[in-house]
Amino acid sequence: MADPAVHLTIDGRATTVPAGTTVFDAARTLGIPIPTLCHQSNMEPVGVCRECVVEIEGARVLAASCVRPAEEGMVVSTNSERVRRTRRMLIELLLSDHPRPCARHREFGDCELEVLAEREGITTPRFPGSPGPRRIDDSLPAIRVDHSACILCDRCIRACTDVKSNFVIGRMGKGYPTHIGFDNDLDMGASSCVSCGECMVSCPTGALTNTAAPATELTTGMKFGLDELLHIPIFRGVSSQFLEKNQGGVVKRNFRKGEILCREGEFGSTAFYILKGEVEVFLTAPLAHVKKAGGALGFMSKLTSLLAGGREDPRPDASRRPIPIDGPVDLPLDHPVAVLGEGELFGEMTCLNFYPRSATVRATGDGVVLEMLRNVLQILQKNREFKAQLERNYKQRALASHLRASPAFAGLGDDALDELKERAELIRFEPGGVICRQGEVADKFYLIRIGFVKVTQTHPGGEMVLAYLSRGQFFGEIGLLAGGVRTATCTALDHVEVVCIGVEDFNRMLERFPEVRRSLEQTARERVSANRQHLDAVRTVPLDDFLDQGLMEAQSLLLLDLEKCTRCDDCVRACASAHDGVTRLVRDGLRFDKYLVATSCRQCKDPLCMVGCPVGSIRRKESLEIIIEDWCIGCGLCADQCPYGNINMHPFRVMEQDPGGVASRKAVLRTKATACDLCTDHAEPSCVAACPHDAAHRVNPREFFARELVQISPAHGGAR
Amino acid sequence: MIIEALREIQHRDGFLSAGELQRLSSRFKVPLYELQGLAGFFPHFRLELPPALDVRVCADMSCRLSGAAALHRSVEVMAEERFSGRMVVEEVSCLGQCDRAPAFAINDVIFNRTSTGEIPQLLAAAVGGERLKPAPALRHEAELRTDPYCGERHFDALRALLESKDATKALAELKASQLRGMGGAGFPAGTKWEIVRNTRSDQKYIVCNADESEPGTIKDRFILEALPHLLIEGMIIAGYLTGAGKGIIYLRHEYEAQRAVIQAELERCRRDGLLGPSVLGTGFTFELDLFISPGGYICGEETALLEVIEDRRAQPRNKPPFPVTHGLFNKPTVLNNVETFVYVPFILMRGADAFRSQGVNGCSGLKFVGVSGHVNHPGVFEVPMGTPVREVIFHCAGGVSEGRSLKAFAPSGASSGFLPASMVDIHLDFKILAEAGSMLGSGAIVAIAEGTCMIDMAMNGCKFFRNESCGKCVPCRVGSQKAVDILASIQQGRATEADLAVVDELAETLMLTSICGLGQVAANPFTSVLKHFRNEVEDHLRRKRCPSGVCFQPGPPDGSSRRFVTHRDTGG
Repeated sequence: MADPAVHLTIDGRATTVPAGTTVFDAARTLGIPIPTLCHQSNMEPVGVCRECVVEIEGARVLAASCVRPAEEGMVVSTNSERVRRTRRMLIELLLSDHPRPCARHREFGDCELEVLAEREGITTPRFPGSPGPRRIDDSLPAIRVDHSACILCDRCIRACTDVKSNFVIGRMGKGYPTHIGFDNDLDMGASSCVSCGECMVSCPTGALTNTAAPATELTTGMKFGLDELLHIPIFRGVSSQFLEKNQGGVVKRNFRKGEILCREGEFGSTAFYILKGEVEVFLTAPLAHVKKAGGALGFMSKLTSLLAGGREDPRPDASRRPIPIDGPVDLPLDHPVAVLGEGELFGEMTCLNFYPRSATVRATGDGVVLEMLRNVLQILQKNREFKAQLERNYKQRALASHLRASPAFAGLGDDALDELKERAELIRFEPGGVICRQGEVADKFYLIRIGFVKVTQTHPGGEMVLAYLSRGQFFGEIGLLAGGVRTATCTALDHVEVVCIGVEDFNRMLERFPEVRRSLEQTARERVSANRQHLDAVRTVPLDDFLDQGLMEAQSLLLLDLEKCTRCDDCVRACASAHDGVTRLVRDGLRFDKYLVATSCRQCKDPLCMVGCPVGSIRRKESLEIIIEDWCIGCGLCADQCPYGNINMHPFRVMEQDPGGVASRKAVLRTKATACDLCTDHAEPSCVAACPHDAAHRVNPREFFARELVQISPAHGGAR
Repeated sequence: MIIEALREIQHRDGFLSAGELQRLSSRFKVPLYELQGLAGFFPHFRLELPPALDVRVCADMSCRLSGAAALHRSVEVMAEERFSGRMVVEEVSCLGQCDRAPAFAINDVIFNRTSTGEIPQLLAAAVGGERLKPAPALRHEAELRTDPYCGERHFDALRALLESKDATKALAELKASQLRGMGGAGFPAGTKWEIVRNTRSDQKYIVCNADESEPGTIKDRFILEALPHLLIEGMIIAGYLTGAGKGIIYLRHEYEAQRAVIQAELERCRRDGLLGPSVLGTGFTFELDLFISPGGYICGEETALLEVIEDRRAQPRNKPPFPVTHGLFNKPTVLNNVETFVYVPFILMRGADAFRSQGVNGCSGLKFVGVSGHVNHPGVFEVPMGTPVREVIFHCAGGVSEGRSLKAFAPSGASSGFLPASMVDIHLDFKILAEAGSMLGSGAIVAIAEGTCMIDMAMNGCKFFRNESCGKCVPCRVGSQKAVDILASIQQGRATEADLAVVDELAETLMLTSICGLGQVAANPFTSVLKHFRNEVEDHLRRKRCPSGVCFQPGPPDGSSRRFVTHRDTGG
């Protein structure tokens, strides 16, 4: 049944509209424009900006035409003196608190408020400005919130909830301080916002603007049409206007069988999503480490190192941990190759954090990938559907191997794993985001899907870094086991995604597998006591110079007593002969009183070298020395990261299958990282043993200086 | 249900933590932003653990006239000297104790002038963990003309109506009585009820607005204490006449003592079969419940009130449609003030003529007025409609205090603006006061003695509206702040003629474009002072002189730097 018609007059012109039509729409059908700020045709009107007010004959006050239904016999004036005067006044009121020009007007000249003001000829509002500018929230990489430019039109709120059903944005507070807020008034980046961009494209002013990174154009590959993009399932739910703005950040690449998509160790800034076809992921670097000793001192070996075979020189306490890479799977240690297919994403870490590529990817057949920049990846990562897909992939392909890599979880049954898969949940953290805080109630167990997590403990004297954790590692078990309170703070160092398991599920698992509980408790006890020892050590000697030179960070130093040292270089030679002819020690470095702190790994408390390793091949044993796992791809990031220049990249020559597809082998020069390994095979470090003058010592700096320094040089700053 | 859940959590924990909101969000399947939006809107809710001593001193008109600023300072001194770090002192909006001003609250328990001498003891008790007790409701012995029963058997009007079953006649009587809405707007009650009666719906509601919160407005507090039976009877009758089966009394949370009175009366009625599935055995169902407001003046706006009952922020709806057709849960709803319902039994018992003839000077009916400010005997008085204000101030309330002369008065709190003493013979009546550019409003007469700065009064009124604006529409949210800004510049000697020139235009915009009554009147305190006290304004503006010695003090003249607690000032 058609709605009954309503007859009314607008600005002297008679018209007939269906019942329920608003005065705003009725005027529009007559071609009479009514200005508005809060109303948009695709949304339920809310009538809050009042800019669309009209005069209705016989009414005491004006009516907001966007919410006023037309009534039979209504006589409306959209342009009376009173209407014009009050409309101008409303613009003046808003403009007096508005930054001019706002980000949007500066860039595009189309801030709806400022355009309206210009049209009305309002240059200087007659009111004092707001007491202080409101906040700018740039916590989200893609969208910037300038609360000063917000006019509270509720368009973003309706976009988020009514249009996109994301339910994140609302009005917070009351009265003049009212502002839009995300979830429980969090920063946008910390909220459950999925970055769909609908709020931003709905905003009439510069309150919500796109802050796509400057390099948002990929120059190679095929550009997408917007329609084509929107038809790709993973972009479902993303606002088309938002996608349009970021269109340049994603391209389509067709690949042929055998083609290399990316190579390990290369730096890059893109991630790949497989639309069609299959690729294989593998390491070209040989699975071996730089040989320690016994190499012939021939001409070649002076230039290049030799590699140790797994059997001939096994890594100490070699874990059964698979090789974590920047993709949805891990590579098994015995056969480091995996196949990725349709719907899988790889290269996230490279794209988000600019770490080197972790592996080489080669097409096994013809296919198509999406290659995307960070802005597009971030849009996707916040997309609910895509996130669910990532979560599914992770649970299916990596969760079990990550858990079982730890001896503690080795005994976990398949059914228990399946149950955990069901219950686990993926959560993202921005750089600097606190995942759990010391002292808080522990309610989750975490596994890292991507990114690096810093574990610190706060003590009266300051903060101490306990560990850096990366993909495949887990944390949070100590708090769950020991009394339910977090014993350390875990912070995201970069873009981190963790899979969490709630306390109930965790406990249920422990109940079913008492051996898992026992071994976890054992680990927890060990960690706690190790942490306590670190702490005691730190407490002893807080010295200024120590801090200045970063020596406080060290746990072990190679010191050369310059009063005894004759500069004979026996130590360097000893190191070279212990390490396949290439020394890991340089007899130079900081001077501290009568000691030379030789350039050799200091076993830092805050081992920055471990952050960013794309394959997680650098780690530390309980006995502190740095271990570089056999699958090091030689990208050199750890050597760059070490502030003391104590990690060396060693060249070695290998015969290699040319990954370019030509079936031939050729000799290539590759590198692997090495660091002082404290010669753990021997009774003491070879450099120390070799010193004929008793000048070289490996010492714990705190104990050593606590004993020595105060006696020898009180001038060097007594303990505070 | 959500607001109730928030209240329970706060009662248990003392505040609403992020974790609790999160849990509630999953429990009710409600987005987190909605819960935060609610919790951050109502002053009753806290988002942080409160200090051991949370003292709030009323800053509004009657209290300001009665030494609230001095009280605030003295309490601040106590905080510094004795409870440093454990006590916070903040300003708060009207607590409904205008006749016993100044009012203050310690840990949410409200006290008034009678307790100002015991503040140190109260603080000591509270910090020691003792739960403070508010003053109990007063007993009212005086006979009121509104009460047709005079202590005899109650609810006879309802009994007669249920017996006669003649709703048409009763409605006609109501219309003939010319009873108007007593909350301030004055819409004819009979007409309102008739529309609800004639609107078809499976469900209808009777809602009583007992949320008076405007400075000076205390009459409903008095009525709730003195005539609870008439309120309930009026609401049951409204239910019967309109076909509504459910009633809700929306009570401001500050009225703890009155809540107990109403609760006791409701229980008595349920026991006596006056409420429930079959009222007095007639088969007519009427349930009546109390809803305690989470606070804020805006909740007294009828549609904002409905929003709150529906668990939303107290943001007024765009009208039309009106609650009579689209009210609570979008159902036809009778929404009237306490006083409106209370007159109904009289009208049905004694007839429309008898009610109309209660008025004097050509006006009809009765009126409860609260008198506060500079008078000798502040209180609530039942007077004939049409009574001159002079008689109320000088006869009922015993004249201006301390032998001073009257300078000005507000016929109905801040929203009616201020009238000069020369107009004190004006009659209390909807039409007469409207014609004088003021309003009868809710009958909150505030007397102001000579020696009071009217710019300061304007500031006090405008700040109240600024603080209480919900922020939904632009004119009220921004305009109320600008009015305060301009007044501040006058008080600090920075204002020019140009700043004043814009005030009338601002007031016009507020009046014509605001969604609700709050915004419409938000500039009234200012414009009325500009109109009636021009000389005083000129003194401030041109000669930088405050005849009362209030303005041009270093720093904000009335402590406006103090944090105000109706909202969280995170400022986005």
